[in-house]
Amino acid sequence: MVPDTGKTLRADAYKPVNTPEALKVEEDASGLPHAVRLKRRQVVISIEDKWRIDDEWWRAEPVSRRYYNVLLASGQRLVLYKDLVTGEWYQQDY
Amino acid sequence: MRLLCVLLPHFPWSCELQRRPDIAGRPAIVTYTEGSQRLVLEHSPDLEGLQPDMPLPQALARHGDAELIQADMPCYRSVWSRILDTLETVSPLVEDAEPGCAYIGVDGLHLIYPDDGAIIDAVRGAVTENLSPRMGIAGNKFLAYLAARRCPPGGHRVLTGDVDSFLKDLPGDVLPVSLKSRGRLRDFGLTTLGQIAALTPGPFQSQFGPEGKKIWELSRGIDATPLYPRFMEESIEESTSLPSVTVSLDAVLVAMESLLARLFDGNILKGRGIRGLTLWTRTWNAEDWKRNISFKEPAMDVRSAISRIKRILEDYPQPGPVEQVGLRITALGYPRGRQKNLFSDIRAKEHLAEDIRQLELRLGNPQVYTVKEVEPWSRIPERRYALTPTNR
Repeated sequence: MVPDTGKTLRADAYKPVNTPEALKVEEDASGLPHAVRLKRRQVVISIEDKWRIDDEWWRAEPVSRRYYNVLLASGQRLVLYKDLVTGEWYQQDY
Repeated sequence: MRLLCVLLPHFPWSCELQRRPDIAGRPAIVTYTEGSQRLVLEHSPDLEGLQPDMPLPQALARHGDAELIQADMPCYRSVWSRILDTLETVSPLVEDAEPGCAYIGVDGLHLIYPDDGAIIDAVRGAVTENLSPRMGIAGNKFLAYLAARRCPPGGHRVLTGDVDSFLKDLPGDVLPVSLKSRGRLRDFGLTTLGQIAALTPGPFQSQFGPEGKKIWELSRGIDATPLYPRFMEESIEESTSLPSVTVSLDAVLVAMESLLARLFDGNILKGRGIRGLTLWTRTWNAEDWKRNISFKEPAMDVRSAISRIKRILEDYPQPGPVEQVGLRITALGYPRGRQKNLFSDIRAKEHLAEDIRQLELRLGNPQVYTVKEVEPWSRIPERRYALTPTNR
């Protein structure tokens, strides 16, 4: 049996970069992002690209995401994804 | 020297039964993996015709409905280590022969324990009751082992005086020799120790070589093998769980680096370097991998240790996706001398590294990080890179 080291994640532990951040997204009737709420609500002008990744199917919680590269009304570009397992939206650079 | 053998037959099965009482009475096989083969380690008592190290398909051909349990070797070693620690409260001379078998030196204990029965009771109390140890006391290891083996669970036997009558009818399979030698003894029609002991040693040596002398001596109860008692080693261990299961060597290496950094940065090593190290990993399907490393010169920093660790990880691949990594220092040593670098730019880097280290010590947490590639090809963005404290 591997003993529990009892160590909490400390600042010097190995940790990933570019972790996704939760985001509030309004969807339209077809499930596409219509507006996002960053500091203020911004409408999505266009969806420039979209793709899907499915990975780690063997795990209890597989990775299944649909990514969107969107252009906002302010001119800002954003990459966000919808977690197809939980239904939550996240922002993450790809 | 009088020795006491403590025998716990089917030890892995007993460990599994202790933590999973629901498998009692059900057919089950404890398996382990060697290379690409799955072999039998232990089995429930009701399954006949199985032996340790038998290939699993062969075992399942005989008992297809048996439940398969993956061996948890760290658990068994941990339980056995605790038992050995408790046995050392009875006698300071305890030898760990293998999990489930230990030898204890009982000479000189008469001042504490008035007779053999008191020693037996003390040893029985030291071992967990559910494990029902068998114990044998005799003048050497082989006789003590046989005495223990011929006992009922929880029982004991003391061999004194003439042991020929005890040995003569025992089967030749009890001899601790190779399977090939045992087969050849059967081919010669020598099935009991009494038959072997009745002959002279010369023919055995000519047929079996050096092992022949050992066969003849053991059949007469002669065993000069000394007792090798345990000695306490200072053991320092660090481990961590990876944020996600990975097959990437780089991810495992980054985790090993951060573990080494914890050891070198704390006051654990007290100015000493690493002379011996045990690396271990645990995969997602509960298989474990372990390697021992020895350093010619003590490794005084992470950089000198990690280059060796990297070679080991490359030469000995993991059995599956890795979930946990750990390392245990088994030997420490002092350095002979440290020579500073002649080139100024390298000395400047060393000064910078020292300043960063001082900053961390003052503020309590690493302040400067480096982005390292872990799985840059991964489709999942957060798996591609990792932050590690600089200079680790």
